[in-house]
Amino acid sequence: MAQNHWLSTGNFFTSYKQEQRNFLTHLDTSIFTFFLILLFAWPLFFDLGNKMMFVVDNLMIAIVAVMGLNLVTGFAGLISIGHAAFVGIGAYTVASFCRTLGTSHELITHFWPLVIVISGLVGAGFGAFVGLPAFRLKHLYLAIATLSFQMIFQWVINFMTFFNQGQTIFVGRVSWVTGRVGRNDHYEFWYYVILVVVVLLGFGIRNLLKTKYGRCLIAVRDNDRAADAMGMHPGLTKVYAFALAGFFAGVAGALHAYVYRGVGFESFTLHESVSYLAMAIVGGLGTLNGSFWGPVAIKFLDLQVETLSEVAGQYLPAGMNLATALKPFTFGLVIVLFLMFEPRGIANWWRIVKSYTKLWPFRY
Amino acid sequence: MKQHFGVRQILGCALVLIMATAFTGSGIAGQVYKLGFSGAITGPTSDAGNPLAKGVEDWFKYVNDNKLLGDDTIDCTIRDDQYKTAVTKRNFEEYLDEGIVFYLNYSTGSTLGLKRDFEEVKMPTAPSSYHEGNLVDSNYIFIPVATYSENMVALAEYVVNNHKGSTPKVALFIHPSAFGRGPVDDTKKAVAKGLDMEIVEVVEHGKDLDNSAMLQRLMSKGVQYVISHTVQSPVATMLKDAMRLNVNAKSFGEAGKLTFLGAHYTGGSDLIALAGDAAENFYWTCSYNLTSEDNAKSKKQLELAKTYGRDDKAANSHNYAAGILQAQIPTQAIMMAKKAGLDITPANLYKMLNMMHGENEFESFAAVGPVSFSEDDHVGVDMVNIYKVENQVFRAISSIESVYMKKLRTGM
Amino acid sequence: MVYFCQIMVSGIVVGSIYALAALGLVLIYKSSRVANFAHGQIIAAGAFITYFLTVDLGLPIFFSFLASMVITFFLAMSVERIFLRRLIGEPIISVIMVTIGLSSIIDGLIYLTPFGTENYSFPAFLPTTPLTVYGVSISWTQLLGVIITFILIGAFSWFFKKSTVGISMRAVSDDQFGSMSVGISVPRVFGLAWATAGLSAAAAGCIIGNITGLNFDTLHAFGIVVFPVVILGGLDSILGAVVAGIIMGLIQQFASGYLDGNWGLSGTGEVAPYIILVIILFFKPHGLFGVHEIERV
Repeated sequence: MAQNHWLSTGNFFTSYKQEQRNFLTHLDTSIFTFFLILLFAWPLFFDLGNKMMFVVDNLMIAIVAVMGLNLVTGFAGLISIGHAAFVGIGAYTVASFCRTLGTSHELITHFWPLVIVISGLVGAGFGAFVGLPAFRLKHLYLAIATLSFQMIFQWVINFMTFFNQGQTIFVGRVSWVTGRVGRNDHYEFWYYVILVVVVLLGFGIRNLLKTKYGRCLIAVRDNDRAADAMGMHPGLTKVYAFALAGFFAGVAGALHAYVYRGVGFESFTLHESVSYLAMAIVGGLGTLNGSFWGPVAIKFLDLQVETLSEVAGQYLPAGMNLATALKPFTFGLVIVLFLMFEPRGIANWWRIVKSYTKLWPFRY
Repeated sequence: MKQHFGVRQILGCALVLIMATAFTGSGIAGQVYKLGFSGAITGPTSDAGNPLAKGVEDWFKYVNDNKLLGDDTIDCTIRDDQYKTAVTKRNFEEYLDEGIVFYLNYSTGSTLGLKRDFEEVKMPTAPSSYHEGNLVDSNYIFIPVATYSENMVALAEYVVNNHKGSTPKVALFIHPSAFGRGPVDDTKKAVAKGLDMEIVEVVEHGKDLDNSAMLQRLMSKGVQYVISHTVQSPVATMLKDAMRLNVNAKSFGEAGKLTFLGAHYTGGSDLIALAGDAAENFYWTCSYNLTSEDNAKSKKQLELAKTYGRDDKAANSHNYAAGILQAQIPTQAIMMAKKAGLDITPANLYKMLNMMHGENEFESFAAVGPVSFSEDDHVGVDMVNIYKVENQVFRAISSIESVYMKKLRTGM
Repeated sequence: MVYFCQIMVSGIVVGSIYALAALGLVLIYKSSRVANFAHGQIIAAGAFITYFLTVDLGLPIFFSFLASMVITFFLAMSVERIFLRRLIGEPIISVIMVTIGLSSIIDGLIYLTPFGTENYSFPAFLPTTPLTVYGVSISWTQLLGVIITFILIGAFSWFFKKSTVGISMRAVSDDQFGSMSVGISVPRVFGLAWATAGLSAAAAGCIIGNITGLNFDTLHAFGIVVFPVVILGGLDSILGAVVAGIIMGLIQQFASGYLDGNWGLSGTGEVAPYIILVIILFFKPHGLFGVHEIERV
């Protein structure tokens, strides 16, 4: 009986390493590669126009941020209501460079990958700092501590003149090997950059969970006293989880700054934090593909609600504030419905679909 | 016989040709000019943004219905961005994809944030944000009326000119954001240039439930005038607290009391609705003509509102007038371009706007003064009216143009 | 000295409103272990309902005060029944997110009405001249607010200590299985907990509405500030909520009174509660009066 490398016909693993591979069969690998090629190639054939590319870029930045949030809330079980503040820290790191060096300085326009990594590290630093209370606080108390951090961040940005007191700080256009990225290529260029970042970080998370630290995270989430008894350090694990989430958020923030070519505080408010949490939950807390589904679902919903309220606004009496009302209403309704009927999120649907197709045409 | 036949034929052909050109001619003449507006129709500050958007919409409908541009029409897409800069940016990109010739914006944050984009794509823009910072490093932003800084400095000048006694002591009560802080710097610069008043304290209010402590502190420092630049609720709370503590002045500059003044967004009918009796003797600057003045201009405004079925609150709001004026600016530019026989493109509209002075300046029934733009002057209406609340209505008591603002701008 | 006393008085007034609002949160947490992020919205709803009853229907203010308390009572109870009932036993993150989702839904519903965007103010029903004691002034509305707050807090404490329903609520928060075995209907207690929280929320909303006027944004922010108060006092202690409320009110007023304007600072009143919270949590991780939960493996 030989092992079929293309389909999973049985359990033929002979080592732990084999079992923990990312892609178990050649079919999996080829589907994934094909999908990746598709993602890289479609902008060359379809021209979406600036607005939609802008939306797509936004979406992918949200994916990066939510990957980090999923790490700390889904895998480590620590509720973080301050995630938008971490994203903001990443963005404001870029902005600080711009303020001190000038928006067209070489560092910002030519060495932007370095700047993005630095923002990630700064985000990680702050993440660790905010995670320090995790040594002593539990559950809701920790959640409110992160909320406090969010509010303090908002106040600091609004107050300090170095950050232009919350007003937009401009970030210049970047240059690539082919020269300066002009207005027309801007969104497409950043689409590719963010795509690369997403793929790299996605693999990063996949592999993280196979390491000792990854298993530590899940153990601490499930029962941190037991994990302590087994020799893991729950406090350090939690701080490290916050730091990692901070790294992801910092990178997302830096990308945000570059795509928008400006940093203003409105994109990093409490409402955004709640939005990220919603994306994580609707996507599926504690799963990697949940980080992809969540932002897609929420952003898609946002756009549809906008179109719907525009259309409805023409037919309904002007007195009704339908547009303002619909946005939070549908947002809340989606969250509540998902939690009431599908608490494991869209990732659960995906899992069901996948297992169904894997065994098709057999039922079980 | 052939000639007779020939003449009729020729006449017939000529008639057909004339009819053909006439029909196709009108086909070409009925052009549609695309414009775009993005503002907070709902969401934060929508109590101002909503009537403003209605003003914009109604004016363009009026232009189309009354054929002010001949056979051409204006198609202005009005979008709600709920004060979020990200959404405004998205709307702007979409409008650019659609090929607009002029852009109307709303919030301060997004106007400042998109300043560079306007420069890059060379799109003339008229924002509803009268922040002085919009004029810095920008050639394509045309502010409809006097800026917030101009409002505040004008109030300061009014205080200085009408104060009896030595240097007046003034406190500034502002909104804790870029919108609020902008005019403070300019007022301080005006004082440095010789405006004879003393700024005792700059108070950035929060969501205070109670201002008694602040008012008592100001009184103990000898403050006589409080100039506000924020939105109506905090001012209303402050006025009510002042009335309760009995520190509000019953006449201008009454000794031992605080006289309250405010710039653009502090006042309006909402302030009176919120503060009630406490709003009496509040001084307010605004470049728009108020319907409570009941003059020929306000009649036109009310007529426009009635034609398009707007409720009383919107019709009488100065924000409705603001929307009308904001929409009249591109209309005027398009009319000038047509008269000069130019195509309607952003570049040509920009040229027209820079020429809108001297004999080209136009009077609007929404504003208190003529609208003029030039290469150096991107502020439309330079005049502000000073209104005072008497018997729960705002009454105009004077009009001024700020002297110090001009000095600051030209760097004299 | 007068300035100091004035700030102190303002602090106590503001603080007692915080205490009343925090009370509702503690009530819900105490019985059902749910952190209710929609509390701010219920406060706002209570305030708007009172306004509607007073101005649009013309009821005398005291009646509409009571009526809105009753209406919010049922509103909160139905919220619990429809949305939270299904979530008994789910992890805490789900429950928190449901309440966040609920807050958005109620937001949306309020925006449908003109209350969402317009500003309103209650008609004055008390004399407008303030009470002045040694140079410190306090308005009648504020004084009434403080009095009502303390009456309600006293009523709730008595309710929890002496009445059967109150004792059964405390039993449920202690040990659900145990109380089921003595015949207490746990789901009914949850509903009651939410309903009483709704009561206190409506009261808080009316008082705030009378003092500052009805502006949805302000009421919104209120709902967020209430959280540090609750955490400071300890999530399951009513006394903690009251004490923490007053402390937070005082801190806010002192911060904005003495720090603002000096050293270029501004808006310190907004951020001071959070900073103090973080500092105190370092020393008392369960809040001032919170019960230290003993977790077993």
